[in-house]
Amino acid sequence: MEPVIPFKWEGPDAEGTVRLYGNLNAFSAPRPFLTKKQVKTARNLTFDLKELEHLDLNGAAFLLSQFDLLKQMGISSKVQNLSSPLAPIWELAQKSFPAPDSLVPQKGPGPIEQLGENIWHFFKDLFELTTFFGEVLVHFWGFLRRPWRARWASIFTVAEKSVVDAIPVTCLVAFLVGLILAFQSAMLMQVFGVDIFVADLVGIAMIRELGTLLTAIVLTGRSGSAFSSELASMKSNQEIDAFVTMGLSPARDLALPRILAMTLATPLLTILADLAGLLGGNIVLMSLGHPYMVFWEELSSHIDISDIATGLFKSFVFGFVVALIGCQRGLYAESGPSAVGEATTHGVVTNILVIAILDSLFAVLFYALSW
Amino acid sequence: MPSPGKDMSQAGPKPPLEAKNLTVSHEGSPPLLVGLNFTALPGEILGILGPSGCGKSSLLQHLVGLAVPREGQVFIFGEDIYAQGEQSLMRARHNFGVMYQTGALFGDLTLLDNVSVPLKEFTHLDPNCIKDIAALKLALVGLTGSEYLLPANVSGGMVKRAAIARALALEPSLLFLDEPSAGLDPITARDLDELIGTLARNLGLTFVMVTHELRSIMRIVDRAILLGKRMKGIADMGSPKYLAEKSTVPESIAFFQRNNVKEKKEK
Repeated sequence: MEPVIPFKWEGPDAEGTVRLYGNLNAFSAPRPFLTKKQVKTARNLTFDLKELEHLDLNGAAFLLSQFDLLKQMGISSKVQNLSSPLAPIWELAQKSFPAPDSLVPQKGPGPIEQLGENIWHFFKDLFELTTFFGEVLVHFWGFLRRPWRARWASIFTVAEKSVVDAIPVTCLVAFLVGLILAFQSAMLMQVFGVDIFVADLVGIAMIRELGTLLTAIVLTGRSGSAFSSELASMKSNQEIDAFVTMGLSPARDLALPRILAMTLATPLLTILADLAGLLGGNIVLMSLGHPYMVFWEELSSHIDISDIATGLFKSFVFGFVVALIGCQRGLYAESGPSAVGEATTHGVVTNILVIAILDSLFAVLFYALSW
Repeated sequence: MPSPGKDMSQAGPKPPLEAKNLTVSHEGSPPLLVGLNFTALPGEILGILGPSGCGKSSLLQHLVGLAVPREGQVFIFGEDIYAQGEQSLMRARHNFGVMYQTGALFGDLTLLDNVSVPLKEFTHLDPNCIKDIAALKLALVGLTGSEYLLPANVSGGMVKRAAIARALALEPSLLFLDEPSAGLDPITARDLDELIGTLARNLGLTFVMVTHELRSIMRIVDRAILLGKRMKGIADMGSPKYLAEKSTVPESIAFFQRNNVKEKKEK
């Protein structure tokens, strides 16, 4: 790198002349340059560039920018003694320099407009989700009529990648939740000498609610988000367009295998999660001095088939919903650099919201049906 | 900062870009190009040409400090950019600008903010002055009036112009361009070529341009290096006119006289 000749300036003197020396560029441009105090008496300033050794466009733009500032203070500025090597740069900068007040950022939408936009987006999302749900149901009917024509190979691949590979993390989370639940309740129940009921608490909570819910949330974060990002990047690569123009249906050929795989495999994962959670509860009970089998005997006398059935039924629904929303968000992603990220975020948020709402609805429904 | 044009021509022994015995390779695979020696002279537009897959883009990565070469040195204004690791790279980075094939503008920033990024980061100028400088750079590439648009909302040619404006933000004397006219229609491509030519003349900038667009090579490139797969190195060197009309090297004959539509499609 060339040695940088420092930039210096002198003045303004009595006649309002500011002398510039050295090398003026974006790095050497001084801040502050001319203070109000220095220029307060002047009406006209003359910048003498005779001794200026080098000036680039950034340096010239800096000077022009200062001229604008001075003009606002009512001081007019001009340059003199511009040497011939610097003249073309100065002229180019003058030609390209933005006119004062030409740089006005476009105003963003106001609060009312934003509110309207959000409401519009909410209903648009709802409409798209419903449309997509209908489309998937049509293809699902087609699948039920001719299951042998489905792409079983891709269904199994998706099931392996999205559900089977999620076994370790889901089981670990369920195990720990079972352990914590049992531990916290055992502390209190021991006082009353009913610590054996920890088995029922953990059992019913895990099998009816937590196992299902935990699995759905882990799958949302792990697999639903993967569907969204995968399909959204396919969309931005125009792969989805290619599907459509070839006469294929993205809903049937991309979404349905994923939805089927998740719907069929999520209950199996839920069973494993339930078992892991129960094991966690059992370990706490064993640490309180009960033999291993006591937990299971206590459980079998209080858990009936309806508890297991409601849990598994919900897990079918959650598997379906997680995949459906994940795929829908991906396939309906907008184009642009941030589309993949947005589709994934929206997918996960919508999923968690819908799972929570559905779970509460199921709780009311099963209570009313006294299942 | 080195000054554009004036000082450099006097400096003589410090060319904007010099590659010495450079080996171009991807990590863990055999080298694509071996023992490259070439220099870019101040104020010239140097073209790096070659068929697809010969290592042009990998060579560019070595030249701009994105991939450490297995062997050889890269000098930018006389300084070996890989000599002291990250330190020398950081120093060298202010001396050159890079325009990527797709523009690589930051998608969430307006064109004006894209150009302002390096100015905000590396200078002490006040925000108003940075805005003026960025607007001036955009005006220079003919984008007045589009300052507050997002990259997603402007055309491909405008994205490339804005990318050049951003590369020019700190006013380096050396600019690397990766396939500037790839994917542009002939009219936009010609405008972009004219812009590059104008910048080279008016600001005395040195351009190193990786390209295989025959029309823009003939239009603006002063001197070209033709890379060949067969010899894993420089097959031919000279002015585009010489390479196209007089050269007897088989690579030059193939590159300049064959219809290269097929290769463009591959890209």
